[in-house]
Amino acid sequence: MPGGNWIRVWQLAVGVAALGAWEGGVRAGLLDQFFFSRPSDIGARLGEWLRSGSIWAHLGTTLAEAALAFLIGVALGVAMGFALARMPRLAAVLDPYIRIANALPRVVLAPIFLLWFGLGIWSKVALGVTVVFFIVFFNTWQGVREVDPVLVNNARMLGASERQLTRHVLLPSALSWIFSSLHISIGFAMIAVVVGEYLGASRGVGYLIAQAEGVFDTTGVFAGMAVLAAVVLAVGAGVNRLELWLLRWKPRVPDSTYQ
Amino acid sequence: MASPSQPAIELRGITHTFGGSFTALKEAGLEATAGSFVSVVGPSGCGKSTLLNIAAGLLSPSQGEVRVFGQRLEGINRRAAYMFQQDALLPWKTVRENVALGLVFRGKEMPVALREADGWLTRVGLDGFGNSFPYQLSGGMRKRAAMAQCWITAPDIVLMDEPFAALDVHTRMRMQQEVLELWGNAGQTVLFITHELEEAIALADVVAVLSAGPESRIIAEHRVDLERPRNLVDIRLDPRYQELYRKIWGDLREEVLKSFAGR
Ligand SMILES: Nc1ncnc2c1ncn2[C@@H]1O[C@H](COP(=O)(O)OP(=O)(O)OP(=O)(O)O)[C@@H](O)[C@H]1O
Ligand SMILES: [Mg+2]
Repeated sequence: MPGGNWIRVWQLAVGVAALGAWEGGVRAGLLDQFFFSRPSDIGARLGEWLRSGSIWAHLGTTLAEAALAFLIGVALGVAMGFALARMPRLAAVLDPYIRIANALPRVVLAPIFLLWFGLGIWSKVALGVTVVFFIVFFNTWQGVREVDPVLVNNARMLGASERQLTRHVLLPSALSWIFSSLHISIGFAMIAVVVGEYLGASRGVGYLIAQAEGVFDTTGVFAGMAVLAAVVLAVGAGVNRLELWLLRWKPRVPDSTYQ
Repeated sequence: MASPSQPAIELRGITHTFGGSFTALKEAGLEATAGSFVSVVGPSGCGKSTLLNIAAGLLSPSQGEVRVFGQRLEGINRRAAYMFQQDALLPWKTVRENVALGLVFRGKEMPVALREADGWLTRVGLDGFGNSFPYQLSGGMRKRAAMAQCWITAPDIVLMDEPFAALDVHTRMRMQQEVLELWGNAGQTVLFITHELEEAIALADVVAVLSAGPESRIIAEHRVDLERPRNLVDIRLDPRYQELYRKIWGDLREEVLKSFAGR
Protein backbone atom coordinates (compact mmCIF):
# COMPACT_ATOMS: atom_id res chain seq x y z
CA MET A 1 0.00 0.00 0.00
CA PRO A 2 1.97 3.02 -1.23
CA GLY A 3 -0.52 5.44 0.40
CA GLY A 4 0.32 4.10 3.85
CA ASN A 5 4.06 4.74 3.44
CA TRP A 6 3.41 8.19 2.12
CA ILE A 7 1.48 9.11 5.21
CA ARG A 8 4.17 7.66 7.50
CA VAL A 9 6.85 9.71 5.78
CA TRP A 10 4.86 12.90 6.15
CA GLN A 11 3.99 12.16 9.76
CA LEU A 12 7.67 11.73 10.52
CA ALA A 13 8.53 14.87 8.59
CA VAL A 14 6.04 16.96 10.60
CA GLY A 15 7.48 15.68 13.88
CA VAL A 16 11.08 16.25 12.85
CA ALA A 17 10.25 19.72 11.53
CA ALA A 18 8.47 20.73 14.74
CA LEU A 19 11.25 19.50 16.99
CA GLY A 20 13.88 20.97 14.65
CA ALA A 21 12.18 24.37 14.68
CA TRP A 22 11.97 24.25 18.47
CA GLU A 23 15.64 23.27 18.85
CA GLY A 24 16.74 25.75 16.18
CA GLY A 25 14.64 28.55 17.66
CA VAL A 26 16.23 28.10 21.07
CA ARG A 27 19.75 27.83 19.67
CA ALA A 28 19.24 30.94 17.52
CA GLY A 29 18.05 32.83 20.59
CA LEU A 30 14.48 33.34 19.28
CA LEU A 31 13.04 31.29 22.14
CA ASP A 32 14.16 31.69 25.74
CA GLN A 33 15.78 28.49 26.89
CA PHE A 34 14.72 29.17 30.48
CA PHE A 35 11.02 29.00 29.55
CA PHE A 36 11.12 26.59 26.64
CA SER A 37 14.03 24.26 27.34
CA ARG A 38 15.27 22.30 24.28
CA PRO A 39 14.29 18.94 22.77
CA SER A 40 17.91 17.78 23.07
CA ASP A 41 17.98 18.63 26.80
CA ILE A 42 14.61 16.97 27.33
CA GLY A 43 15.84 13.86 25.52
CA ALA A 44 18.99 13.85 27.63
CA ARG A 45 16.89 14.15 30.81
CA LEU A 46 14.69 11.24 29.77
CA GLY A 47 17.83 9.19 29.08
CA GLU A 48 19.15 10.08 32.52
CA TRP A 49 15.88 9.06 34.19
CA LEU A 50 15.89 5.75 32.38
CA ARG A 51 19.57 5.03 33.07
CA SER A 52 19.39 5.82 36.75
CA GLY A 53 16.01 4.09 36.98
CA SER A 54 14.64 6.93 39.12
CA ILE A 55 11.61 7.29 36.86
CA TRP A 56 10.25 3.80 37.41
CA ALA A 57 9.05 4.27 40.97
CA HIS A 58 7.18 7.44 40.02
CA LEU A 59 5.80 5.96 36.85
CA GLY A 60 4.79 2.80 38.69
CA THR A 61 2.87 4.80 41.29
CA THR A 62 1.07 6.86 38.66
CA LEU A 63 0.25 3.79 36.59
CA ALA A 64 -1.05 1.89 39.60
CA GLU A 65 -3.28 4.82 40.57
CA ALA A 66 -4.56 5.26 37.03
CA ALA A 67 -5.16 1.53 36.60
CA LEU A 68 -7.10 1.31 39.88
CA ALA A 69 -9.10 4.42 39.03
CA PHE A 70 -9.81 3.05 35.59
CA LEU A 71 -10.86 -0.43 36.72
CA ILE A 72 -13.03 0.75 39.59
CA GLY A 73 -14.54 3.52 37.47
CA VAL A 74 -15.31 1.17 34.58
CA ALA A 75 -16.82 -1.49 36.85
CA LEU A 76 -19.03 1.01 38.64
CA GLY A 77 -19.92 2.81 35.42
CA VAL A 78 -20.93 -0.34 33.54
CA ALA A 79 -22.91 -1.68 36.50
CA MET A 80 -24.75 1.59 37.11
CA GLY A 81 -25.32 2.19 33.41
CA PHE A 82 -26.93 -1.22 33.10
CA ALA A 83 -28.99 -0.86 36.25
CA LEU A 84 -30.42 2.50 35.28
CA ALA A 85 -31.09 1.52 31.67
CA ARG A 86 -33.05 -1.49 32.93
CA MET A 87 -34.87 0.50 35.62
CA PRO A 88 -36.17 3.64 33.93
CA ARG A 89 -38.12 4.73 37.01
CA LEU A 90 -35.06 4.66 39.23
CA ALA A 91 -33.22 6.53 36.48
CA ALA A 92 -35.91 9.21 36.38
CA VAL A 93 -35.72 9.68 40.15
CA LEU A 94 -31.92 9.87 40.21
CA ASP A 95 -31.64 11.98 37.07
CA PRO A 96 -31.22 15.43 38.72
CA TYR A 97 -28.64 14.12 41.17
CA ILE A 98 -26.62 12.50 38.42
CA ARG A 99 -26.64 15.79 36.56
CA ILE A 100 -25.54 17.73 39.63
CA ALA A 101 -22.73 15.29 40.37
CA ASN A 102 -21.56 15.36 36.78
CA ALA A 103 -21.70 19.16 36.58
CA LEU A 104 -19.18 19.46 39.41
CA PRO A 105 -15.65 20.29 38.17
CA ARG A 106 -13.55 17.36 39.37
CA VAL A 107 -10.49 19.41 40.26
CA VAL A 108 -12.32 20.97 43.21
CA LEU A 109 -12.79 17.48 44.62
CA ALA A 110 -9.03 16.94 44.85
CA PRO A 111 -8.52 18.86 48.13
CA ILE A 112 -11.52 17.11 49.68
CA PHE A 113 -10.18 13.71 48.67
CA LEU A 114 -6.77 14.67 50.05
CA LEU A 115 -8.44 15.35 53.39
CA TRP A 116 -10.52 12.18 53.27
CA PHE A 117 -8.01 9.72 51.91
CA GLY A 118 -4.66 11.30 52.78
CA LEU A 119 -1.55 11.92 50.69
CA GLY A 120 -1.21 8.29 49.52
CA ILE A 121 -2.53 6.74 46.34
CA TRP A 122 -6.21 6.48 47.32
CA SER A 123 -6.95 10.19 47.11
CA LYS A 124 -5.71 10.08 43.50
CA VAL A 125 -7.61 6.90 42.74
CA ALA A 126 -10.81 8.47 44.07
CA LEU A 127 -10.35 11.50 41.87
CA GLY A 128 -9.73 9.30 38.84
CA VAL A 129 -12.79 7.19 39.60
CA THR A 130 -15.11 10.21 39.62
CA VAL A 131 -13.89 11.08 36.12
CA VAL A 132 -13.90 7.60 34.58
CA PHE A 133 -17.19 6.58 36.17
CA PHE A 134 -19.30 9.27 34.52
CA ILE A 135 -17.87 8.78 31.06
CA VAL A 136 -18.39 5.01 31.17
CA PHE A 137 -21.72 5.29 32.94
CA PHE A 138 -23.30 7.62 30.38
CA ASN A 139 -22.02 5.58 27.45
CA THR A 140 -23.21 2.28 28.90
CA TRP A 141 -26.59 3.73 29.73
CA GLN A 142 -26.96 5.04 26.20
CA GLY A 143 -25.64 1.82 24.68
CA VAL A 144 -28.12 -0.37 26.53
CA ARG A 145 -31.04 1.87 25.63
CA GLU A 146 -30.04 1.90 21.97
CA VAL A 147 -30.22 -1.87 21.61
CA ASP A 148 -32.23 -2.88 18.56
CA PRO A 149 -35.66 -3.93 19.93
CA VAL A 150 -35.91 -6.63 17.24
CA LEU A 151 -32.84 -8.36 18.67
CA VAL A 152 -34.33 -8.20 22.16
CA ASN A 153 -37.68 -9.56 20.97
CA ASN A 154 -35.99 -12.32 19.02
CA ALA A 155 -33.97 -13.41 22.05
CA ARG A 156 -37.07 -13.33 24.23
CA MET A 157 -39.00 -15.45 21.73
CA LEU A 158 -36.10 -17.91 21.71
CA GLY A 159 -36.57 -18.27 25.45
CA ALA A 160 -33.93 -15.98 26.94
CA SER A 161 -34.22 -15.24 30.65
CA GLU A 162 -33.51 -11.75 31.92
CA ARG A 163 -29.92 -12.78 32.76
CA GLN A 164 -29.36 -14.45 29.39
CA LEU A 165 -30.75 -11.37 27.68
CA THR A 166 -28.18 -9.21 29.47
CA ARG A 167 -25.31 -11.54 28.73
CA HIS A 168 -26.06 -12.43 25.11
CA VAL A 169 -27.77 -9.30 23.82
CA LEU A 170 -27.52 -6.17 25.96
CA LEU A 171 -23.89 -6.35 27.02
CA PRO A 172 -22.45 -7.17 23.57
CA SER A 173 -24.67 -4.53 22.02
CA ALA A 174 -23.49 -1.88 24.48
CA LEU A 175 -19.89 -2.95 24.04
CA SER A 176 -19.03 -0.66 21.16
CA TRP A 177 -20.35 2.29 23.18
CA ILE A 178 -18.43 1.17 26.22
CA PHE A 179 -15.27 0.88 24.15
CA SER A 180 -15.57 4.33 22.71
CA SER A 181 -15.75 5.57 26.29
CA LEU A 182 -12.68 3.54 27.31
CA HIS A 183 -10.47 5.40 24.87
CA ILE A 184 -11.44 8.71 26.39
CA SER A 185 -11.46 7.56 29.98
CA ILE A 186 -7.91 6.16 29.88
CA GLY A 187 -6.61 9.61 29.06
CA PHE A 188 -8.81 11.23 31.66
CA ALA A 189 -7.88 8.72 34.36
CA MET A 190 -4.26 9.62 33.73
CA ILE A 191 -4.96 13.35 33.84
CA ALA A 192 -6.97 13.04 37.06
CA VAL A 193 -4.35 11.08 38.99
CA VAL A 194 -1.55 13.35 37.76
CA VAL A 195 -3.51 16.41 38.86
CA GLY A 196 -4.04 14.71 42.21
CA GLU A 197 -0.31 14.05 42.53
CA TYR A 198 0.46 17.56 41.46
CA LEU A 199 -1.69 18.99 44.24
CA GLY A 200 -0.23 16.85 47.00
CA ALA A 201 1.78 13.66 46.95
CA SER A 202 5.18 12.24 47.69
CA ARG A 203 5.55 10.12 44.54
CA GLY A 204 4.33 9.88 41.00
CA VAL A 205 4.92 11.63 37.69
CA GLY A 206 2.64 14.50 38.74
CA TYR A 207 4.77 14.96 41.84
CA LEU A 208 7.89 14.89 39.69
CA ILE A 209 6.49 17.63 37.47
CA ALA A 210 5.46 19.71 40.48
CA GLN A 211 8.97 19.34 41.94
CA ALA A 212 10.61 20.39 38.67
CA GLU A 213 8.28 23.34 38.38
CA GLY A 214 9.12 24.37 41.95
CA VAL A 215 12.76 24.90 40.96
CA PHE A 216 11.94 26.40 37.53
CA ASP A 217 13.29 23.28 35.81
CA THR A 218 11.36 23.46 32.52
CA THR A 219 13.33 20.55 31.12
CA GLY A 220 12.02 18.35 33.94
CA VAL A 221 8.43 19.50 33.34
CA PHE A 222 8.62 18.71 29.62
CA ALA A 223 10.30 15.37 30.25
CA GLY A 224 7.50 14.42 32.66
CA MET A 225 4.91 15.39 30.05
CA ALA A 226 6.68 13.25 27.45
CA VAL A 227 6.57 10.24 29.78
CA LEU A 228 2.84 10.68 30.37
CA ALA A 229 2.07 11.05 26.66
CA ALA A 230 4.05 7.89 25.84
CA VAL A 231 2.24 5.87 28.49
CA VAL A 232 -1.24 7.03 27.42
CA LEU A 233 -0.44 6.18 23.79
CA ALA A 234 0.85 2.72 24.72
CA VAL A 235 -2.20 1.88 26.83
CA GLY A 236 -4.49 3.26 24.12
CA ALA A 237 -2.87 0.94 21.57
CA GLY A 238 -3.54 -1.98 23.90
CA VAL A 239 -7.21 -1.04 24.18
CA ASN A 240 -7.36 -0.75 20.40
CA ARG A 241 -6.19 -4.33 19.97
CA LEU A 242 -8.63 -5.59 22.57
CA GLU A 243 -11.40 -3.71 20.82
CA LEU A 244 -10.50 -5.12 17.42
CA TRP A 245 -10.74 -8.60 18.84
CA LEU A 246 -13.92 -8.12 20.88
CA LEU A 247 -15.71 -6.29 18.06
CA ARG A 248 -14.48 -8.63 15.32
CA TRP A 249 -18.10 -9.29 14.33
CA LYS A 250 -18.40 -5.78 12.97
CA PRO A 251 -17.85 -5.34 9.26
CA ARG A 252 -14.54 -3.53 8.74
CA VAL A 253 -14.55 -0.27 6.88
CA PRO A 254 -13.83 -1.30 3.29
CA ASP A 255 -10.19 -0.87 2.30
CA SER A 256 -11.13 1.30 -0.64
CA THR A 257 -11.83 4.27 1.65
CA TYR A 258 -8.14 4.38 2.52
CA GLN A 259 -6.92 4.41 -1.07
CA MET B 1 -49.78 -33.51 19.13
CA ALA B 2 -53.36 -32.52 19.87
CA SER B 3 -56.36 -33.65 17.84
CA PRO B 4 -56.21 -32.30 14.30
CA SER B 5 -59.22 -30.03 14.62
CA GLN B 6 -58.16 -28.31 17.83
CA PRO B 7 -57.00 -24.74 17.23
CA ALA B 8 -53.30 -24.33 17.95
CA ILE B 9 -53.80 -20.63 18.27
CA GLU B 10 -56.93 -18.54 18.61
CA LEU B 11 -57.18 -14.77 18.56
CA ARG B 12 -60.51 -13.72 20.05
CA GLY B 13 -61.96 -10.23 19.76
CA ILE B 14 -58.56 -8.58 19.65
CA THR B 15 -58.67 -4.81 19.98
CA HIS B 16 -55.45 -2.90 20.28
CA THR B 17 -55.02 0.80 20.88
CA PHE B 18 -51.62 2.49 20.69
CA GLY B 19 -50.93 5.40 23.01
CA GLY B 20 -54.54 5.56 24.16
CA SER B 21 -55.80 7.07 20.92
CA PHE B 22 -54.92 5.10 17.78
CA THR B 23 -56.94 1.91 17.47
CA ALA B 24 -54.99 -0.31 15.09
CA LEU B 25 -57.09 -3.47 15.51
CA LYS B 26 -60.73 -3.74 16.47
CA GLU B 27 -62.42 -7.03 17.32
CA ALA B 28 -60.07 -9.02 15.12
CA GLY B 29 -60.57 -12.76 15.35
CA LEU B 30 -58.61 -15.60 13.78
CA GLU B 31 -57.87 -19.21 14.52
CA ALA B 32 -55.44 -21.70 13.11
CA THR B 33 -56.08 -25.41 13.50
CA ALA B 34 -53.12 -27.46 14.62
CA GLY B 35 -50.83 -28.28 11.73
CA SER B 36 -52.34 -25.80 9.32
CA PHE B 37 -50.65 -23.07 7.35
CA VAL B 38 -52.54 -19.80 7.64
CA SER B 39 -51.59 -16.68 5.69
CA VAL B 40 -52.78 -13.23 6.69
CA VAL B 41 -52.85 -10.60 3.96
CA GLY B 42 -53.75 -6.95 4.23
CA PRO B 43 -52.71 -3.56 2.94
CA SER B 44 -49.60 -1.88 4.30
CA GLY B 45 -49.94 -0.46 7.80
CA CYS B 46 -53.22 -2.24 8.55
CA GLY B 47 -51.94 -3.95 11.69
CA LYS B 48 -50.52 -7.28 10.51
CA SER B 49 -47.35 -7.04 12.60
CA THR B 50 -49.38 -5.84 15.58
CA LEU B 51 -51.60 -8.91 15.29
CA LEU B 52 -48.60 -11.23 15.09
CA ASN B 53 -46.87 -9.55 18.04
CA ILE B 54 -50.02 -10.15 20.04
CA ALA B 55 -50.04 -13.82 19.01
CA ALA B 56 -46.38 -14.00 20.10
CA GLY B 57 -47.15 -12.45 23.46
CA LEU B 58 -44.70 -9.62 22.81
CA LEU B 59 -47.63 -7.22 22.96
CA SER B 60 -50.65 -7.68 25.16
CA PRO B 61 -53.91 -6.60 23.54
CA SER B 62 -56.02 -3.78 24.96
CA GLN B 63 -59.01 -6.12 24.75
CA GLY B 64 -59.59 -9.71 23.77
CA GLU B 65 -57.54 -12.79 24.42
CA VAL B 66 -55.14 -15.19 22.80
CA ARG B 67 -55.52 -18.91 23.39
CA VAL B 68 -52.70 -21.33 22.68
CA PHE B 69 -53.83 -24.95 22.52
CA GLY B 70 -56.82 -23.94 24.59
CA GLN B 71 -54.86 -22.09 27.25
CA ARG B 72 -55.10 -18.37 27.75
CA LEU B 73 -51.78 -16.74 26.86
CA GLU B 74 -49.99 -14.71 29.52
CA GLY B 75 -46.63 -13.17 28.65
CA ILE B 76 -44.39 -14.64 25.94
CA ASN B 77 -45.84 -17.45 23.86
CA ARG B 78 -43.46 -20.26 24.81
CA ARG B 79 -44.78 -22.66 22.20
CA ALA B 80 -44.10 -20.34 19.30
CA ALA B 81 -41.06 -19.33 17.30
CA TYR B 82 -41.02 -15.99 15.54
CA MET B 83 -39.33 -15.09 12.29
CA PHE B 84 -39.05 -11.34 12.02
CA GLN B 85 -39.38 -9.09 9.01
CA GLN B 86 -36.02 -7.49 9.86
CA ASP B 87 -32.73 -9.32 10.34
CA ALA B 88 -32.78 -10.58 13.90
CA LEU B 89 -29.59 -12.67 14.05
CA LEU B 90 -27.26 -11.40 16.76
CA PRO B 91 -24.46 -9.70 14.78
CA TRP B 92 -21.82 -10.56 17.42
CA LYS B 93 -22.39 -14.29 17.28
CA THR B 94 -21.33 -16.61 14.51
CA VAL B 95 -23.99 -18.27 12.41
CA ARG B 96 -23.81 -21.56 14.29
CA GLU B 97 -23.89 -19.80 17.66
CA ASN B 98 -26.95 -17.93 16.45
CA VAL B 99 -28.71 -21.07 15.34
CA ALA B 100 -27.86 -22.77 18.65
CA LEU B 101 -29.21 -19.86 20.68
CA GLY B 102 -32.67 -21.24 21.38
CA LEU B 103 -31.18 -24.47 22.74
CA VAL B 104 -28.64 -22.61 24.86
CA PHE B 105 -31.41 -20.48 26.35
CA ARG B 106 -33.24 -23.68 27.23
CA GLY B 107 -30.22 -24.85 29.20
CA LYS B 108 -28.48 -27.19 26.73
CA GLU B 109 -24.72 -27.52 27.01
CA MET B 110 -22.95 -25.35 24.45
CA PRO B 111 -21.12 -28.17 22.61
CA VAL B 112 -24.32 -30.22 22.31
CA ALA B 113 -26.28 -27.21 21.10
CA LEU B 114 -23.59 -26.35 18.56
CA ARG B 115 -23.52 -29.89 17.21
CA GLU B 116 -27.28 -29.79 16.74
CA ALA B 117 -26.95 -26.38 15.08
CA ASP B 118 -24.46 -27.83 12.59
CA GLY B 119 -27.06 -30.39 11.57
CA TRP B 120 -29.56 -27.63 10.95
CA LEU B 121 -27.07 -25.59 8.97
CA THR B 122 -26.68 -28.56 6.65
CA ARG B 123 -30.46 -28.86 6.33
CA VAL B 124 -30.86 -25.25 5.27
CA GLY B 125 -27.86 -25.39 2.91
CA LEU B 126 -25.43 -23.34 4.97
CA ASP B 127 -22.74 -25.99 5.29
CA GLY B 128 -19.37 -24.33 5.75
CA PHE B 129 -20.76 -20.98 6.86
CA GLY B 130 -21.16 -21.88 10.54
CA ASN B 131 -18.19 -19.82 11.63
CA SER B 132 -19.08 -16.75 9.58
CA PHE B 133 -20.62 -13.71 11.18
CA PRO B 134 -24.04 -12.60 9.89
CA TYR B 135 -22.62 -9.58 8.04
CA GLN B 136 -20.61 -11.98 5.89
CA LEU B 137 -23.73 -13.70 4.52
CA SER B 138 -26.08 -12.64 1.74
CA GLY B 139 -29.65 -11.64 2.54
CA GLY B 140 -31.01 -15.02 1.50
CA MET B 141 -28.43 -16.88 3.57
CA ARG B 142 -29.30 -14.80 6.61
CA LYS B 143 -32.94 -15.79 6.14
CA ARG B 144 -31.93 -19.44 5.98
CA ALA B 145 -30.02 -19.06 9.21
CA ALA B 146 -33.05 -17.36 10.78
CA MET B 147 -35.21 -20.29 9.66
CA ALA B 148 -32.83 -22.78 11.27
CA GLN B 149 -32.79 -20.62 14.40
CA CYS B 150 -36.59 -20.85 14.59
CA TRP B 151 -37.01 -24.52 13.75
CA ILE B 152 -34.22 -25.89 15.95
CA THR B 153 -36.34 -25.33 19.05
CA ALA B 154 -39.04 -27.61 17.60
CA PRO B 155 -41.82 -25.07 18.15
CA ASP B 156 -45.48 -26.05 17.86
CA ILE B 157 -46.29 -22.75 16.22
CA VAL B 158 -44.21 -20.68 13.83
CA LEU B 159 -45.04 -17.01 13.40
CA MET B 160 -43.59 -15.36 10.32
CA ASP B 161 -43.84 -11.65 9.56
CA GLU B 162 -43.18 -10.95 5.87
CA PRO B 163 -39.96 -12.94 6.24
CA PHE B 164 -38.96 -12.74 2.59
CA ALA B 165 -40.19 -9.27 1.66
CA ALA B 166 -36.66 -7.93 1.30
CA LEU B 167 -35.46 -10.68 -1.08
CA ASP B 168 -35.34 -10.75 -4.85
CA VAL B 169 -38.03 -12.74 -6.68
CA HIS B 170 -35.99 -15.88 -7.32
CA THR B 171 -34.44 -16.14 -3.89
CA ARG B 172 -37.87 -15.57 -2.42
CA MET B 173 -39.34 -18.47 -4.38
CA ARG B 174 -36.56 -20.78 -3.19
CA MET B 175 -37.07 -19.72 0.39
CA GLN B 176 -40.81 -20.29 0.12
CA GLN B 177 -40.18 -23.78 -1.16
CA GLU B 178 -37.83 -24.41 1.75
CA VAL B 179 -40.41 -23.20 4.25
CA LEU B 180 -42.92 -25.60 2.79
CA GLU B 181 -40.43 -28.44 3.10
CA LEU B 182 -39.60 -27.65 6.72
CA TRP B 183 -43.28 -27.32 7.52
CA GLY B 184 -44.15 -30.50 5.64
CA ASN B 185 -41.59 -32.47 7.65
CA ALA B 186 -42.42 -31.18 11.09
CA GLY B 187 -46.10 -30.27 10.78
CA GLN B 188 -46.19 -27.12 12.87
CA THR B 189 -48.93 -24.58 12.77
CA VAL B 190 -47.75 -21.61 10.75
CA LEU B 191 -49.12 -18.07 10.87
CA PHE B 192 -47.61 -16.30 7.89
CA ILE B 193 -48.00 -12.56 7.41
CA THR B 194 -47.55 -11.10 3.96
CA HIS B 195 -48.85 -8.26 1.84
CA GLU B 196 -48.51 -10.35 -1.29
CA LEU B 197 -51.55 -12.32 -2.24
CA GLU B 198 -49.65 -14.65 -4.60
CA GLU B 199 -47.34 -15.77 -1.83
CA ALA B 200 -50.25 -16.12 0.58
CA ILE B 201 -52.21 -18.45 -1.70
CA ALA B 202 -49.23 -20.46 -2.91
CA LEU B 203 -48.18 -21.39 0.61
CA ALA B 204 -51.32 -21.57 2.72
CA ASP B 205 -54.28 -23.77 3.60
CA VAL B 206 -56.24 -20.70 4.63
CA VAL B 207 -55.85 -17.10 3.55
CA ALA B 208 -57.30 -14.52 5.96
CA VAL B 209 -57.82 -10.95 4.80
CA LEU B 210 -57.28 -8.07 7.20
CA SER B 211 -59.15 -4.85 6.42
CA ALA B 212 -57.48 -1.48 5.92
CA GLY B 213 -56.63 0.33 9.14
CA PRO B 214 -57.35 1.89 11.50
CA GLU B 215 -59.70 -0.42 13.40
CA SER B 216 -58.78 -3.36 11.21
CA ARG B 217 -60.38 -6.73 11.56
CA ILE B 218 -60.38 -10.02 9.69
CA ILE B 219 -63.01 -9.61 6.98
CA ALA B 220 -62.73 -12.92 5.15
CA GLU B 221 -61.15 -16.36 5.33
CA HIS B 222 -60.63 -18.44 2.21
CA ARG B 223 -59.74 -22.12 2.06
CA VAL B 224 -57.00 -22.97 -0.41
CA ASP B 225 -57.65 -26.56 -1.49
CA LEU B 226 -54.71 -26.96 -3.87
CA GLU B 227 -53.07 -30.33 -3.38
CA ARG B 228 -49.71 -30.76 -1.70
CA PRO B 229 -46.83 -31.01 -2.15
CA ARG B 230 -46.98 -27.90 -4.26
CA ASN B 231 -44.62 -26.81 -6.96
CA LEU B 232 -44.28 -23.09 -6.44
CA VAL B 233 -42.66 -22.49 -9.82
CA ASP B 234 -45.71 -23.62 -11.79
CA ILE B 235 -48.54 -23.11 -9.33
CA ARG B 236 -49.34 -19.69 -10.71
CA LEU B 237 -50.40 -21.31 -13.96
CA ASP B 238 -52.90 -23.60 -12.23
CA PRO B 239 -56.47 -22.50 -13.17
CA ARG B 240 -57.73 -23.20 -9.66
CA TYR B 241 -54.99 -20.98 -8.25
CA GLN B 242 -56.02 -18.23 -10.62
CA GLU B 243 -59.66 -18.58 -9.69
CA LEU B 244 -58.81 -18.32 -5.99
CA TYR B 245 -56.62 -15.36 -6.73
CA ARG B 246 -59.47 -13.50 -8.44
CA LYS B 247 -61.86 -14.32 -5.63
CA ILE B 248 -59.58 -13.20 -2.78
CA TRP B 249 -58.31 -10.21 -4.71
CA GLY B 250 -61.94 -9.09 -4.87
CA ASP B 251 -61.87 -8.71 -1.08
CA LEU B 252 -58.36 -7.37 -0.82
CA ARG B 253 -58.69 -4.86 -3.64
CA GLU B 254 -61.27 -2.79 -1.78
CA GLU B 255 -59.07 -2.64 1.29
CA VAL B 256 -56.01 -1.65 -0.67
CA LEU B 257 -57.99 1.13 -2.37
CA LYS B 258 -59.29 2.28 1.03
CA SER B 259 -55.77 2.36 2.37
CA PHE B 260 -54.75 4.55 -0.60
CA ALA B 261 -57.65 6.90 0.08
CA GLY B 262 -56.69 7.09 3.73
CA ARG B 263 -53.26 8.45 2.91
N1 LIG C 1 -45.67 1.26 18.80
C1 LIG C 1 -46.60 1.89 18.08
N2 LIG C 1 -47.09 3.08 18.51
C2 LIG C 1 -48.05 3.72 17.80
N3 LIG C 1 -48.58 3.28 16.66
C3 LIG C 1 -48.13 2.10 16.18
C4 LIG C 1 -47.12 1.36 16.86
N4 LIG C 1 -46.87 0.24 16.15
C5 LIG C 1 -47.68 0.29 15.08
N5 LIG C 1 -48.44 1.40 15.10
C6 LIG C 1 -49.47 1.78 14.11
O1 LIG C 1 -50.37 0.72 14.00
C7 LIG C 1 -50.71 0.50 12.65
C8 LIG C 1 -50.42 -0.93 12.29
O2 LIG C 1 -49.01 -1.16 12.33
P1 LIG C 1 -48.38 -2.55 11.89
O3 LIG C 1 -46.93 -2.43 12.02
O4 LIG C 1 -49.05 -3.63 12.64
O5 LIG C 1 -48.81 -2.60 10.36
P2 LIG C 1 -48.46 -3.70 9.27
O6 LIG C 1 -49.73 -4.16 8.69
O7 LIG C 1 -47.54 -4.72 9.82
O8 LIG C 1 -47.70 -2.81 8.19
P3 LIG C 1 -46.58 -3.27 7.11
O9 LIG C 1 -47.28 -4.04 6.04
O10 LIG C 1 -46.10 -1.96 6.57
O11 LIG C 1 -45.55 -4.04 7.85
C9 LIG C 1 -49.92 1.48 11.82
O12 LIG C 1 -50.76 2.54 11.45
C10 LIG C 1 -48.85 1.99 12.75
O13 LIG C 1 -48.61 3.36 12.51
MG1 LIG D 1 -45.45 -5.23 9.43
